[in-house]
Amino acid sequence: MPVDQRRINGPEVSVPYHIYSDFDKKSDKEKHDFSKRSDKRTDNEMRKIFLKTGIVSQAKGSAYIEIGNTKVVCSVFDPRELSNKNGYCMQGEIYCEFKFAPFSCQKRKIHQQNAEEKQYSLILQRALEPAVCLHEFPNFQVDVYVMVLDNAGSSLAAAIMAASTALANAGVPMFGLVTASTIGIYGNHYLMDPTDTEEGICNTQPDNEDDFNHGIITLASLPQHNQISEVFLIGSIDTNTINQATEILTAANKDICPVLQQCLVKTIMKLHNEKK
Amino acid sequence: MAETVLSSGEKIFILHGIDAILSFLQFCNYKADFRNDGRRRCEYRSMEIETKLMPQTHGSARLHIGNTDILVGIKVELDIPHADKPNEGKLEFFVDWYVILLMVIIVVIECLVFFINFQIIIFSATATPAFEGKGGDDLATEISNVLTAAYQTRNAFDLKTLCILPHKKCWKIYVDVLILQCGGNLFDAVGIAVKAALNSTEIPKITAATLDGGEPDIELSDDSYDCIQLDTNISKERNFVLYLKYEIYIGDNYIVDPTLEEEVCSTSSIVMSILPNGKISSVVKLGYGSIQFNTFTKMLQMGEIIGLKLNKTLMDVLKEETQFGRQRRIFGFLK
Repeated sequence: MPVDQRRINGPEVSVPYHIYSDFDKKSDKEKHDFSKRSDKRTDNEMRKIFLKTGIVSQAKGSAYIEIGNTKVVCSVFDPRELSNKNGYCMQGEIYCEFKFAPFSCQKRKIHQQNAEEKQYSLILQRALEPAVCLHEFPNFQVDVYVMVLDNAGSSLAAAIMAASTALANAGVPMFGLVTASTIGIYGNHYLMDPTDTEEGICNTQPDNEDDFNHGIITLASLPQHNQISEVFLIGSIDTNTINQATEILTAANKDICPVLQQCLVKTIMKLHNEKK
Repeated sequence: MAETVLSSGEKIFILHGIDAILSFLQFCNYKADFRNDGRRRCEYRSMEIETKLMPQTHGSARLHIGNTDILVGIKVELDIPHADKPNEGKLEFFVDWYVILLMVIIVVIECLVFFINFQIIIFSATATPAFEGKGGDDLATEISNVLTAAYQTRNAFDLKTLCILPHKKCWKIYVDVLILQCGGNLFDAVGIAVKAALNSTEIPKITAATLDGGEPDIELSDDSYDCIQLDTNISKERNFVLYLKYEIYIGDNYIVDPTLEEEVCSTSSIVMSILPNGKISSVVKLGYGSIQFNTFTKMLQMGEIIGLKLNKTLMDVLKEETQFGRQRRIFGFLK
């Protein structure tokens, strides 16, 4: 990958010091104490959501979302014409760029997108595409930029919701809103809206158990149409558990939808009052 | 995906074959689902697979399914483990395109047989516009990401077996996938080929690994045939590799192993990877459409059944192949 010469990229190889801290030396049992979650939530409880539009004045539409400590900002820009490489395109396109801020995670991220961020960009794009009336702006492209300012878990779900709100805020024609949520699975535990440490735990399998369900599912859906717009599962989970988890997630997505709607109504009301 | 232009009539033909005709025939109590190549919805095309065909690699496989042609080469090299995972090795996937229009090959063959390889490289980018630049890049990223996701869990591949000296030395496995021809269903083909290639991978045997004044010192076996087969390395009988399955969803019905034409007609698809123990290690939805919850559940169940069946067949075939031993004739590209 080409390195941007104009930026100072820091030392080539550096590691966060956390990996040498005492936490990793604790036995697995202590780390995986699921009788209570670190932020006193129950397994089925989501963190509180704060959502605001119009945060970036330069952009056509923008949104800022906070889920617990996860903070994501998203901006949507005016449609621009596609460069005519493949001839006239009957459908419009959405271009998504997902980026973790360099300081957002425990390990510092470089300015270029890494493989994970590229994958998240594609997932974001596919989560939004079913919701946007692509035929309304043929041969045009809408750019969606998402920046995670602070990653405290479930940042992909937060990004999807921020992007869908920002698209609506930008006035892009849509069939409905997209909501998303994440669930972490560890054995018999279904951890709704996991934090970053919980995500780490759900991603690793305990050493001496082979037949063990673990993993993370992110599900984006269109609650107004009862459709799934994107699923992203990683781990090792049996089919029944997946089915149960997706049911929980679709229900959660339905519950979140009014938050997005109210936020948009508030924006419109504000605009209306200003005009008066 | 690759550029295949279909008229709306052709699209309707394909879609109705899968969808509408079925309901009519069911009414007559006649069970049949037709696809444009005569297959049923959950039927695969026949596959041809050959492993250990590249002498320079540590493991390789070539898979032919329909018009899709995949070549996988595996290289094993020494590396230093990640600081946060000191007793794990590394596994990386790279996907590359060499897509060529059939016409180009024919012309080249007629001119000069010796130049085939040379010409392929020149024509690769210009042949199919969709693969040019970003479009092809996106799909290649997608495939390698899906592979990385699928092999992430310890159930699928135990990276600890690749560790030689914790903190100091480990094996790094490079899985290089070369797509020679695309005839639809790339994800499945790549998944199966990677599985077969990993299954045939032999890692050189290390006779001694010591720390000499803090510096790692490794001694390899003198006999180059003295290798460790990757899967026997794993303590349990369970095979580490899994396989990816691709279902594409057209209209209200879903099909497996789509051809290029069927892929053009579909709005969304689900890619899932199934472990030999029946668990699912990754699910991703592709395409611009959305899916109903019920269909998604049905697809998962069907995927599990087909995945396990295909996995068993593949393992049987690979076992049969290894029984031929080193005297086996390698076909390669001369067929």
